Amino acid sequence: MTSTPRRFPLPRLIGLALWLVLLTLLSVWMGAQVPRWLPVSASSAAPLVDGLFGFETAVATFVFVGVVSVMVWVVLFNRAEKYDISDAEPIEGNTTLEITWTVIPLVLVMAIAAYTIQVNRQIGLIGPMDHAHGPALGGGEVQVIARQWSWEFRYPVAGVSSTELHLPLDRRLGLQLESDDVIHGFYVPAFRLKQQVIPGRSITLFITPTRAGRYRLRDSEYSGTWFAANQADVVVESEEAYQSWLSRAARLPLQPGLSDAAREFAQQRSGERPSGYATIQPAPPPLVNVPGSNTLPHDG
Amino acid sequence: MTISTSHDAAAAPQGHGAAHANHSLTGFIIFLCSESVIFLAFFSGYAVLKLSALQWLPPGVEGLEWRTPLLYTVVLVSSSGTVALAERCLSRGKLWGFRAFWLLSMAMGAVFLYGQAIEWRSLGFGITSGSFGGCFYLLTGFHGLHVLSGILLMALMLQRSFRPANYAAGEQGVIATSLFWHFVDVIWVLLFLLLYAWS
Amino acid sequence: MTSSAGVDARILRAPHPVPGAPDNWKRFFTFNTDAKVIGIQYIATALFFLLVGGLLAMIMRGELITPAADLVDRTVYNGLYTMHGTIMLFLFIFPVLNGLNNLLIPCMIGAPDMAFPKLNAAAFWLVPVFGVILMASFLVPGGPASSGWWSYPPVSLQNPLGHLINGEALWILAVALSGISSIMGAVNFVTTILRMRAPGMTLSRMPIFCWTAFSAQTIQLIGLPALTGGAVMLLFDLVVGTSFYRPEGGGDPVLYQHFFWFYSHPAVYVIILPVFGVFSELFPVYARKPLFGYPFVAGASLVIVGLSLIVWVHHMFPSGVPQWMRDAFMVTTMLIAVPTGIKVFAWLATLWGGKLRLNTAMLFALGGLFNFVFAGVTGIMLATVPVDIHVNNTYFVVGHFHYVIYGAATMGVYAAIYHWFPKFTGHMYYEGLGKLHFLLTFIGTNLNFFPMHPLGLMGMPRRVSSYDPEFAFWNVIASLGAFLLGVSIIPFLLNLVSSWVRGAKAPANPWNAIGLEWLLPSPPPAENFEEHVPTVISGPYGYGTGRPLVEHQAEIERALQQA
Repeated sequence: MTSTPRRFPLPRLIGLALWLVLLTLLSVWMGAQVPRWLPVSASSAAPLVDGLFGFETAVATFVFVGVVSVMVWVVLFNRAEKYDISDAEPIEGNTTLEITWTVIPLVLVMAIAAYTIQVNRQIGLIGPMDHAHGPALGGGEVQVIARQWSWEFRYPVAGVSSTELHLPLDRRLGLQLESDDVIHGFYVPAFRLKQQVIPGRSITLFITPTRAGRYRLRDSEYSGTWFAANQADVVVESEEAYQSWLSRAARLPLQPGLSDAAREFAQQRSGERPSGYATIQPAPPPLVNVPGSNTLPHDG
Repeated sequence: MTISTSHDAAAAPQGHGAAHANHSLTGFIIFLCSESVIFLAFFSGYAVLKLSALQWLPPGVEGLEWRTPLLYTVVLVSSSGTVALAERCLSRGKLWGFRAFWLLSMAMGAVFLYGQAIEWRSLGFGITSGSFGGCFYLLTGFHGLHVLSGILLMALMLQRSFRPANYAAGEQGVIATSLFWHFVDVIWVLLFLLLYAWS
Repeated sequence: MTSSAGVDARILRAPHPVPGAPDNWKRFFTFNTDAKVIGIQYIATALFFLLVGGLLAMIMRGELITPAADLVDRTVYNGLYTMHGTIMLFLFIFPVLNGLNNLLIPCMIGAPDMAFPKLNAAAFWLVPVFGVILMASFLVPGGPASSGWWSYPPVSLQNPLGHLINGEALWILAVALSGISSIMGAVNFVTTILRMRAPGMTLSRMPIFCWTAFSAQTIQLIGLPALTGGAVMLLFDLVVGTSFYRPEGGGDPVLYQHFFWFYSHPAVYVIILPVFGVFSELFPVYARKPLFGYPFVAGASLVIVGLSLIVWVHHMFPSGVPQWMRDAFMVTTMLIAVPTGIKVFAWLATLWGGKLRLNTAMLFALGGLFNFVFAGVTGIMLATVPVDIHVNNTYFVVGHFHYVIYGAATMGVYAAIYHWFPKFTGHMYYEGLGKLHFLLTFIGTNLNFFPMHPLGLMGMPRRVSSYDPEFAFWNVIASLGAFLLGVSIIPFLLNLVSSWVRGAKAPANPWNAIGLEWLLPSPPPAENFEEHVPTVISGPYGYGTGRPLVEHQAEIERALQQA
């Protein structure tokens, strides 16, 4: 643009530079706001995701506000006078500019991609191709079974089952995701992790919880009628508390676990609740040592 | 080239009809390209299912017998040759030669379909026998439908050849039909390699 | 050769029965082969289904205004959201764009009609047919399809009543017919553009709208058959009991996701490319400047076609695809930002230093661009794997694509409808009502779809019929926005109907625009230029250059004014 000084005299250039500085400050500030929009970060992956998202938010703000400020400028200052039907100055293109705005975005998105690939490596959600068929027991300490519509968590070593997921703090551990019927999604927003649970496959997902508390696990892949009600709680606690929970739970007798779907379905059967179209019947609540709760207040 | 054609079409007083046949062939070729993607989708689905299967063949099935199908494959592929001969006859104005080769190609297509029907009846598995059974019947059946459509198209072109002076200046329909036939043949060769040769 | 006598003869001949003539309503309900009639049939049908789909959306937002599932049963909600998506895509946005294609392509390239008029009419009439089939699925036992517009197996294969005729089967049938209709349309549009351009209109002189329509229809030709193949296998699984996707029979449910997204991601470009075309046509007219960098804008469309076919796995980052695939598809997805950026910057440069006229069409184009840029930056966020893993299948994605499909595409369609309304109806629209429509739409869109982004970041999954109370605040705002969008349709329809019936008579070129379609009377005769097609001698968008578009332009314009 500097090649046409007639159109950009000095005061304009200073104005432009000032605006760019303001825009940059605004973008940096927006990037810093990101933690306020996200749930608490409770896993080792979360700060990496949030950092990337903050960077992207800053870039996005710069691009969006930059484009919009050009639009606002032309709408305010480049309007035709009421009875002016003449044409504007015919500029049909500028190859230098075209190359500039091809190369800069290209470099920018490739930089974002490189940054992302690096974050990917660090998170290392699943190693390449380790989600083989069949029960490939790859260090899965907890077996997660998704059903229409309930979650069951089994701790094979301790001989415990539950409908509330308990995890030890600050230890990397594998969750072995399995589905009895359709595709579900294992999603804990506070962990920033999500994985489809695919029938016929056993997928190991590694998690390192970093913050004690009670979080929400949501089904993230549409799974039919009670999809929205297919939620469970995740309790992250210290290693000692976790171990004592396991040993206490192992002594408890089996009882029906939580299933909001089964409860609502029973209400519909008895006429307490109106019903709609035909539906697949919910699987009976799994028999577990600890039903736990999914109504207690949760963090973030 | 495209430009001049449309120019001619617009400039010629009765250009509408003459140009239209030309468009038909363009449109038909575009359609064939698009159609080939369905087969590509089926082929890749087949490959993915086969490569990731723990047990590919249904219980009790050893594999597909390939010798007889190979024979029918030769029949179908050589019918591409007879179609080409038919077209040559037409371009030289030998209408009866065209009809003879055209009819022969139709017969060879019918023989292929017959062979397919015999094979289907003799197989020890059905369409619901795992993903292998589904793939086999879907692929051969979908291709068979194309062979059938090809034969019907050829019958239509044959019937048109009896209209006086209809084919005097060549016929786009014949070109399109023979293109379709070659397409169906190429697909079969790929299908044969995938289903019978790759095991 | 086009002589001045020929031009006069064309203009002075008694006009053909044209769309909009008061005695001529019947032709819109017949198997008419005139592209301009078919175009209006498409648009009218699509607007009807926009109302249906919008009504479903408002019921959904009514349900979501409170956290509990209390307004409708969960099964009904699931049916509603499935049908909302299906109707809006297959019965609103695709048909309305095909309507624009039908109206604009032949006129813009100087062709008398489409290459295959009967095929064109057949393609249109399939739309009401599968529309009725889809609507009828509300009446079958078990209700309509309720597995989302993706129809992922195994959920979509669950058939609680076991009937052969069920909502899901009718859904697949309707989508298949829609695919056939789209393929028929695509063959027609591509052939028309390739073979029926006016003399002198080389590819490098073709209006950008035709470039983008060509690109979009090429995607249809490559992508749709893949979806059709996948849908055939789904139908077999559902009806015959095969196991292509059933894990218990050795099938692979993720295979369907590949088929589905191989088409359905490029489908977004089928939708947005013609809208890019609309922006590229409108900005030069209302900024009174040539389009900045025409060859780059045209070429970028083709680059987008190529890239659109190799990005589909970005919808499947949480599906258990290997890491290298995630990385590779993230990079290809990111690359799409480059040609898209070229277009956005070209539009900004076109506007820069122009003489803007902010009528309704221009306002919608500017508003559409605003929303598109917002959708673009959230799109980049979605491309990066770790962020996508967090927000995938949450309301963040819902917000993103509604900004694309309503904020950018539908507002672009509104812009196009207003811009070309005088051309094809022969009447001017009312600016006041139009601006009211714009204001309500722009505010409604942002009120409805912006809150979905914070919701998604907080972790609210999409497709839920109930949600945790912490999401209530933003949901209430979104619902209010949805109801405002519902209201915004009223001035629009009022404007269309009343302007068509009693709007001021439109001149041939009310916007002083450059293009072959503006060298035709408003509305154009049935065969457009018939045999007097002008010879194109320069590229489009010569605003301010004083360069005539065609030979004998002055005479044609004079004849048009006299007529």
